[in-house]
Amino acid sequence: MYSIATILILVAIAVGLVRAFRGPTLFDRVMAGNMIGTLTVLLVAVLGFMNGRPEFLDIALVYVLISFVSTIAVLRVYVSRHGDPDSD
Amino acid sequence: MQYLVDIVLLGLLMITGFAIVRMRSLLAVTMLTSIYSLFSALLFVVLDAVDVALTEAAIGAGISTILLLATVALTTEYEKVPGHRSLLPLLVVTLTGAALIYGTLDMPHYGDPNAPVHRHVAPEYIEDTPEEVGVPNVVTSVLASYRGYDTLGEVTVIFTAGVGVLALLGVHLRKRTEQPHDYKMLVVLRVIAKLLFPLILLFALYVLFHGDYGPGGGFQAGVIFATGFVLYALTHGLGNAERVIPPALLGVLAAAGVLLYAAVGIEGMLLGGKFLEYNVLADDPVSGQHLGILLIETGVGITVAAVILIIYFGFVSRRPGGADAQDPS
Repeated sequence: MYSIATILILVAIAVGLVRAFRGPTLFDRVMAGNMIGTLTVLLVAVLGFMNGRPEFLDIALVYVLISFVSTIAVLRVYVSRHGDPDSD
Repeated sequence: MQYLVDIVLLGLLMITGFAIVRMRSLLAVTMLTSIYSLFSALLFVVLDAVDVALTEAAIGAGISTILLLATVALTTEYEKVPGHRSLLPLLVVTLTGAALIYGTLDMPHYGDPNAPVHRHVAPEYIEDTPEEVGVPNVVTSVLASYRGYDTLGEVTVIFTAGVGVLALLGVHLRKRTEQPHDYKMLVVLRVIAKLLFPLILLFALYVLFHGDYGPGGGFQAGVIFATGFVLYALTHGLGNAERVIPPALLGVLAAAGVLLYAAVGIEGMLLGGKFLEYNVLADDPVSGQHLGILLIETGVGITVAAVILIIYFGFVSRRPGGADAQDPS
């Protein structure tokens, strides 16, 4: 059960990674990075339960709480360089 | 199953590393480095190194990406294509890598119980921790108690890094010309950030005070604290963030953490023990250990959070290419 979930999540991560490499725009990559972050949270949780170490949920929680901060930072830098894409 | 996960994760790590080298858009590269750190944290999880995984999660997912972005905001967005072929460096790197791989042939196998690293002091730490220190997380007892002197050195190094950034970049306190409309449009982000800000600080406190029992400790807690304030600065503007936590206070806090750590050591001496001996801090040696570990972890957390915020403010309060460029925060 946990093994199947692990394999499926790894496949999903690999697919997301393809999008992160191919782009073509920055937003595709940001989106892919965000998705891989979410999948990592899932994988940490699944691995924790599979190995009988639910303490790993703390790590998943850290990711949930702070991984989006870097996404916001990327987009802030983009907006300060190129302006808001919505405004034109 | 374990092997499969190991091999797939190592493969993904390698592919991401190559992609980082090949890519020229630095914003995309920062995104990929954060993905790279996700994979290495996952590997630490697979290796059962909970504390290291938590550190990688706290630093890799948040702070290091943000500091890289702050640097990109100050410089250029695209890496220049080098005009020459770097064959000689490639040769040097390949030879060094081959020598390193050759060196590993002599090393004991992964997980070998007879490896020197498992036979030196580690068995004593694992056997003696329950009665001597009384905390379930052996990593914390080694870091904070058995090797407390080393950790004091590490905190001093972090403090020195903060002093170095302050001396080189400084945190400019001058009145900032912040355009309020910049942050008005971020309504959704501001509301979410305000909701999450107290939760992040609460979780940092949990990591700090729960470090004896679960993964975590002062270092990770400090990083999470700093990330909370960085989130505030990103969504509410640098000026507001500087009003919440003034840079002058950050300098004092960075020093206060190291001083708290050293003071615990000296307090042990005054009470008749050795430097950083916690047994004498309370009537009962084990509760003395608990008290000492909690105090020094707090000191580590304060210094780490303050230094990271000093570095962040130092980077983003500079303006790229002169005074009239745009606010990179």
